[in-house]
Amino acid sequence: MNSPAARFFRRLFPAMLLLAAAVQAQESVRIGVLAWQGLEEAEVHWSSLAGQLEKRLPGKRVELIHTDLAGMAAALRARELDFVMTNPGHYVMLEAETGISRIATQVGSGFADPAHVVGSAVVVRRERQDIRSLEDLRGKRLAAVSPDAFGGYQVIWAELRRAGLDPERGQVALQFTDFPMARVIDAVRKGEADAGVLRACLLEYLEREGVLPPGELQVVAVRSTSSPCQVSSPLYPGWAFAAAAGTPPALARDVLLALLSLAPDATGSSWSVPADYHAVYALFRELQIGPYAVLRETAWSSLARRYWPWLVGLLCLMLAGGAYTLHVEHLVQRRTRELSRALDERHRLEATLQAGQQQMEHLSRLSILGELAGTLAHELNQPLAAIGNYARSLLRRQQRDQLSASALQQAAEEIAGESERAAGILAGIRAFARKRARVREICDMAELVREAAGLMRGMTAGGPKIELLDALPEQQRHVCVDPLQIQQVLLNLFKNAWDAQQGVHVEAPIEVTLQVVDTTCRIAVRDHGVGLAPEVDAHLFEAFFTTKPEGLGLGLSICKTIVEAHAGEMQALPAAPGPGTVFWFSLPLVAAGAAASGEEK
Amino acid sequence: MAGKDVPVIHVVDDEAPFRRSLLFLLESMGWTAVGHESAEAFMQAAPAFPAGGGCLVLDIRMPRLSGLELQRRLQAGGSPFPIIFMTGHGDVELAVQAMKAGAIDFLQKPFKDQLFLDTVERAVHISCERYLETRRHQEAQQVLERLSVREREVARLLAQGLANKEVARLLKISDNTVHVHRQHVMEKTGTGSAAELARLILRADPGGLD
Repeated sequence: MNSPAARFFRRLFPAMLLLAAAVQAQESVRIGVLAWQGLEEAEVHWSSLAGQLEKRLPGKRVELIHTDLAGMAAALRARELDFVMTNPGHYVMLEAETGISRIATQVGSGFADPAHVVGSAVVVRRERQDIRSLEDLRGKRLAAVSPDAFGGYQVIWAELRRAGLDPERGQVALQFTDFPMARVIDAVRKGEADAGVLRACLLEYLEREGVLPPGELQVVAVRSTSSPCQVSSPLYPGWAFAAAAGTPPALARDVLLALLSLAPDATGSSWSVPADYHAVYALFRELQIGPYAVLRETAWSSLARRYWPWLVGLLCLMLAGGAYTLHVEHLVQRRTRELSRALDERHRLEATLQAGQQQMEHLSRLSILGELAGTLAHELNQPLAAIGNYARSLLRRQQRDQLSASALQQAAEEIAGESERAAGILAGIRAFARKRARVREICDMAELVREAAGLMRGMTAGGPKIELLDALPEQQRHVCVDPLQIQQVLLNLFKNAWDAQQGVHVEAPIEVTLQVVDTTCRIAVRDHGVGLAPEVDAHLFEAFFTTKPEGLGLGLSICKTIVEAHAGEMQALPAAPGPGTVFWFSLPLVAAGAAASGEEK
Repeated sequence: MAGKDVPVIHVVDDEAPFRRSLLFLLESMGWTAVGHESAEAFMQAAPAFPAGGGCLVLDIRMPRLSGLELQRRLQAGGSPFPIIFMTGHGDVELAVQAMKAGAIDFLQKPFKDQLFLDTVERAVHISCERYLETRRHQEAQQVLERLSVREREVARLLAQGLANKEVARLLKISDNTVHVHRQHVMEKTGTGSAAELARLILRADPGGLD
């Protein structure tokens, strides 16, 4: 319908409606007609009907309003139509939607029975030998005007389903061309579709009119019916002439009487009493469309429709719950991230702190060495001086020709011994001053004290005598410590005790007492000095507090730190009986079993 | 060991290896040397001062009895041993104290062997002189002890350069008595003049003529 005339009518149609509204005063009868073949064809087809009806309805002006499927329903709802003429399928739908009721059924020429008028023909190009039955359409392209078209689609749809092919499941590829139906023919002829669905008799009509070369298209799956045309489907009742819901019954009766008195038109169609539309309802029910579209819906969807507010509420609750869960999850993840970040930060700080503390301990050890440097130098000088003396003595004897073999041996042995002694002192200092990682070993506490006392004597010429009073029982004498650190603590305490006694020229030994207190080993170091001044006592364990001109003031503060790092404690108190001071610290004892296995290592 | 007149060097140091090295060094130069591990050990040994002289090499810092303390005790007992102190680093103050108390010298460890040997030699020399001095003093005392109280009185006045008459007047005795005492004093002390007598008395007691 792309001819200039069609365009003209299409533009004219709204103008005609306006005109119709203008002459309404003449009490017009408005009849909607389904323009299934296009507006132009419809005008031509139905123009004589309007004239004949007007003749039989005095004082009435009959208007034919050509419309498509959707347009007719809209016009009915707007109460713009008094009657409609449409196909059986469309009628059934409109009946359900708008309450129209049929007053007459069209009977085609050659049809005796108004109940068997409308059918469909599936056409293919003649050369398509592969399509002979409806089953052959499987996987093929099938053109039709519209899913809402009755003779143009729905009838064949039902047949296809009965043949085991459901277009809805894609077993046949449908192409909807929209009205007019001539487009379907075009699609088939051009090969855009393998087959097309036509209303029965359209093919024959077009061939007769010379529009279509006869034999170019042929109908497949032909059934024998009462139809004069070839059809691929059963026949259904003819078009319906129906009154709108609001049409006065008198007008409906007048129109019905006029219709029934009409002679067959140019195509041989006439109007008869309303036919039984049962077959149409059955078809719709089978296809689950039109009034039966509700059957398609599952129980779920109808339940959903009925209870949608509840469903929406439930959905909202679920969504809210989901959102809340997501939110909580997000929070948890964020907190976890924050926590792990905080943990990392803490580990980093701990590492820094530990590094700092090791640095401090190292500094403190160096500071002890510094404080003992004078005596240390003296200590190293002794073996060196002895070695020098022996060497020069040998030279002198040699020069005086008095070098005996026994003298040479004596000197050489002494030199070797003294050099070893010097190396030993140096190794001890180096080990003590070296930076090192933290360790924990199970040690006998008395052994640690003896080693520290030995180190003290090694570092200080004429150093103090250190007396050990060991009151530890056999099963409770082991501690799990860093031996070097504990040695450092002991050395500090010995050095302090010695300094305190040097100040007052006391020659009494420094007393070290070991005893068990609860689950700890208490190590007390007692000197016989003048004791601590109260103002000193208060700051004793503070870093950088010192009463010694050459001291760094790190000794006791580091000692306390070391002892506390070993889960022990440290205190100073006046000796009883005085004078003097007791420094004691405690270390947790370890079980004898652990100590034994520790020592095996 | 050679005879009685050989000088003896005593070394007191608690550091055994070093002490032994010093003995070895001294022996290398032909000295007779004896080591002591502590001041107490030396006191206990209480060696007599050798006729050939000798000296004491003393470590200033030792446990218990220090070098300074030993010096004090020896001087109190009138020991003739000249003392050489050995000091460590930073013991200068102690060394000064020791010098004031009459030490011959102090050697700061570590010291050159030559310096040590020279110092020892000097000390031994001093000890010999001191020994002779002491001998003379002791002999003078022994000589003077032979006199009676009255004779000692007369001798002191005569040594101060007084004439017989003045002595008789001061002691309120006769001139003749003084003469007899004088003859006895001269015989017993073996002196020929008042000047010789004065030297003898001063040798026995530097303040004996005051």
